[in-house]
Amino acid sequence: MDLLNAIFVKPFADMVAAPDFLLQVLWEGLVAGVLYALIALGFVLIYKSSRIFNFAQGIMVVFAALTLIGFHEHGVPALLAVPLTLAVMFILAVAIERVVLRPLVNQPDIILFMATIGITLFLIGFGEIIFGGENKVMITEELLIPTGSYTFEPFGGFVSIEQKDLTAVVGAVVLVVVLLVFLNRSKMGRAIRALGDDHQAALSVGISLSTIWVLVWFIAGVIALATGIVWGARAGVSFALEVIAYKALPVLMLGGLESVSGAIIGGIAIGVLEKLFEIYWGQPLLGGNTETWFAFVLALIVLLFRPQGLFGERIIERV
Amino acid sequence: MLYRTAGQFKTSYRADHALFPVRQDAWLLAFILLLAFVVFPMTANEFVFRALLTPVLIYALAALGLNILTGYAGQLSLGTGAFMGVGAYACYKLVTIFPDLNLIVAIMLSGFFSAAIGVAFGLPSLRIKGFYLAIATLAAQFFLVWLFEKWAWLYNYNSSGSIQVPTISVFGHPVAGPNATAIVQYYVVLVIVAVITWLAINITRGRIGRMWKAVRDMDIAAELVGINLMKAKLSAFAVSSYIVGVAGALFVFLWRGAAEPVAFDIPLSFRVLFIAIIGGLGSVLGNYLGAILIVALPVIISTLPASVGLPLSSAMVEHLNTMIIGALIILFLIVEPHGLARFWAIIREKLIMWPFPH
Amino acid sequence: MTRLISRMLLAGSLFGGLTLAGQALAEDAINVTNLSYRTGPFAATGTPLMNGQRDYITMLNERDGGVGGAKLVYDECETGYNTEKGAECYEKTKTTSIVTQPWSTGITLQVLPKTNVDKVPILAPGYGFSPMADGKVFQWAFNPPASYWDGASMILKNISEGNLENLKGKKIVLLHLDAPYGKEPIPLLNAYAEKYGFTLLPIPVGLKEMQNQSAQWLQIRRERPDFVLMWGWGAMNAGALAEAAKTKFPMDKFVGIWWSGSDADLKTIGEAGKGYRSISWSFPVSDSKVMKDIKQLVVEAGHSMLPREEFDYVFYQRGVVISMFVVEGIKEAQAHFKTKAVNAEQLRWGLENLKLDEKRLKEIGMEGMVPPFSTSCGNHSGHSGAWMLQWDGAKFVKVSERLEADQGMIEPLVLEGAKKYAESNAPWPVNEECK
Repeated sequence: MDLLNAIFVKPFADMVAAPDFLLQVLWEGLVAGVLYALIALGFVLIYKSSRIFNFAQGIMVVFAALTLIGFHEHGVPALLAVPLTLAVMFILAVAIERVVLRPLVNQPDIILFMATIGITLFLIGFGEIIFGGENKVMITEELLIPTGSYTFEPFGGFVSIEQKDLTAVVGAVVLVVVLLVFLNRSKMGRAIRALGDDHQAALSVGISLSTIWVLVWFIAGVIALATGIVWGARAGVSFALEVIAYKALPVLMLGGLESVSGAIIGGIAIGVLEKLFEIYWGQPLLGGNTETWFAFVLALIVLLFRPQGLFGERIIERV
Repeated sequence: MLYRTAGQFKTSYRADHALFPVRQDAWLLAFILLLAFVVFPMTANEFVFRALLTPVLIYALAALGLNILTGYAGQLSLGTGAFMGVGAYACYKLVTIFPDLNLIVAIMLSGFFSAAIGVAFGLPSLRIKGFYLAIATLAAQFFLVWLFEKWAWLYNYNSSGSIQVPTISVFGHPVAGPNATAIVQYYVVLVIVAVITWLAINITRGRIGRMWKAVRDMDIAAELVGINLMKAKLSAFAVSSYIVGVAGALFVFLWRGAAEPVAFDIPLSFRVLFIAIIGGLGSVLGNYLGAILIVALPVIISTLPASVGLPLSSAMVEHLNTMIIGALIILFLIVEPHGLARFWAIIREKLIMWPFPH
Repeated sequence: MTRLISRMLLAGSLFGGLTLAGQALAEDAINVTNLSYRTGPFAATGTPLMNGQRDYITMLNERDGGVGGAKLVYDECETGYNTEKGAECYEKTKTTSIVTQPWSTGITLQVLPKTNVDKVPILAPGYGFSPMADGKVFQWAFNPPASYWDGASMILKNISEGNLENLKGKKIVLLHLDAPYGKEPIPLLNAYAEKYGFTLLPIPVGLKEMQNQSAQWLQIRRERPDFVLMWGWGAMNAGALAEAAKTKFPMDKFVGIWWSGSDADLKTIGEAGKGYRSISWSFPVSDSKVMKDIKQLVVEAGHSMLPREEFDYVFYQRGVVISMFVVEGIKEAQAHFKTKAVNAEQLRWGLENLKLDEKRLKEIGMEGMVPPFSTSCGNHSGHSGAWMLQWDGAKFVKVSERLEADQGMIEPLVLEGAKKYAESNAPWPVNEECK
């Protein structure tokens, strides 16, 4: 009876009793969710256009952030370092296309997936040689990101909202809108989507595979840099950051591998739900740290009922 | 010349179905077994046992388990490390609850626990496919490692949260724990690995193995020709997890001597996956070749440059090791997606023809 | 790019040692290998310590040609704070190096059972398994100058302002890394909680959450503890400090163990971290003789891997102190066994007979860098005591006299822990000669 009470009654009573705290939990979850969504977005873009499940998205986040900091450490002004980093990400995209993807055209999906794991390891080793393994501080102020915080005092408590978190959310929304407009309105964007639907048909109407792949990997690099900046501003940049990439995977399962909106909704849903679960159920009942698996188990359960994810395209199989 | 098969006639179906229809293969195997059972133990020192021979065998066994699931039955799994953990913790509990139980029996039994958990986490495979399934196995990975940390009963409420292997003797010889000698441990591992490999070869060649391959190649088509998908997939999960669990128990009891939950975290899963891929999916031999490469590579990288007068710091070795493994994976996928095992097959074919070009 | 090249060159010169080791062994050379981690999520806190350790040895080689006529060879074996790699490194180095410095409680626990068999001393300064202080049971393991339980006891003493009764009814959170290291203080803190009537709430931080501790700090905000103690390492420290500043947790109620007091971590939040305290058994004294020599002979001569600005940091100079423990052990052994090239068993004797009193520390030019202590066959820790340091917004300053741990509380637990360990790892040899 106590257990039932602890599961079904007490958490909700706690939520009502301290609404300011609940708001803070929701906000923290939302910010985390936006970041998961951003990483998932990188995955989706690449998957949509090339059927590659890009495991390297996480390390690209770290790599982009470290490059940015690295330029700044060598005396490049922060605002100039951003375009330089983008240039590096472009070179990386070209290199990946030339060295890895082009020779692997037409291989089964799993081979390409493995190749991206190879890229991940390569970039970890390469990055550590160049940047060292230390924890770096994101150049938040130099990038003109506000660092103060707003404190609201609803219901007699307080809710603290960091300005950089707010910037992250706003920035992510802008990025997503720009991306959607690009994908749906521009010629290049339509080419990307065409390629996702059918490689050969797209090739036959004159869409260049390698151009589009470079472009897509570059966009994924831009998203990686954005993610790196906002996440780095929260907690510093180091190779430990790479593990947040795993969080994007259940987001993809939930949202569906092909769906941009699925990635965003899935990301935010997972960010908020896992935080709520951890605070109100995980910590009191299970000893905490449930965030490591909650998203995966949730996604697994959803998949049992909808194998293509909440927003994925319906799977039709033929023999 | 060396590998000429001419003159080896088969006069019965039985002979044609032999494990090694070509005589040279049998000789080669005999030679390798001779090396493993006699030559290495006589020449290797303790460091070679602990750093090369034993881990190669254990990793190869784990990769074999994964290969049955991924290479034969076509179900990609990223949770191997956690299933190794299940085997290790099961063995630890068996040994501490029944101190008189023979260690080798305990290791063999612990595989059943991981098999059961494997089947449970394999159930979604009936509905989920491809990458979705791969991520689903990550759920097992993260959940189980979390459980190893939080469920204090599993590690007998040790304050450090890790499991320590006490000295365990079998027939009067210390086999596990600090007092066991490396050579004894090596022999135990070798025998267990050899027996399981032999069984695995037979399973994969038999009815069940062919059922798995049919499911791997196209599950709907397999279903249409009358294969029970549930049976095929779940049996693959069970057999695979059993082997992986035994490998996990060996990993902790006969090699590491202690383990904390993070030891079974995702890097271990990936390491086993790399071995299976570099070695060759759908091949038994490949697991051994892959394990040799992955285990030996850091040793080579740390000693080779130093011996030619280009010394590297240990951190640099580590970075280079990560980088080179990454590059190797890409290289292998490009040059030979079927892995080292396929290389051997090509060499063998060339040898059969040699010295004639056609 | 220049940094990359210099890094590689330095790395090269460092590992010249490896190739030279073979030749040098013939003459009187002593190999002290360090199981370091300059990679991975813990590199941020590991690297400055390793730099300090390395530079002290380099300085001795440059200044005195080694110690007592024997050259010192300092090698590193990279573990990345990974227990499996650490065990590999141990196997690799146990025949060449006369000491194992595992640098992680997990690795320490892993290699501990083997040391009786392999006969190599483990030196785990200020870390490892706290019952290792019992030298009768753990003949080959040393954790000078103070164990985690000493640290926990001293922190409680300090936050209760000298009277532990003040803690009655209070709530104390232990924010710890979810690894053997972080769990170390829990048994002792539980004993204290029972005796003095405060509530202890351990909050673990998993390896994956080190940089994103918002859930943990939300819990802290909900629980409203009176104090937060931190057993953090690597990227976890900076993450916790940033979250603490964000949740407006009062910094003067937030106290870390010695590994959670790295200047680099505090620099990331700067002024916002003002008031944060960390207990420490070492203190940087940049104008001490040792540090001046290191500056002149190692850092300015370009032999160091240290970024210049880190010279005054607590962790770098603590690394120096740690290497001093090894060297002093070697010196004791050299004098006692009248030999230059000390071996592992002789070093064990040396580490058991460390006498670092004020006079000795002054002689080696380390006054004020570490509290004086001595070890014996039964006491492998020394229980030196420690100082409480506080972050003033730019650097750590000493804010307490030397604190002493309450051995009355600790000793029974040490004996019990050691006994339990010996039983569960039977047959375990115990040093009966030691009284």
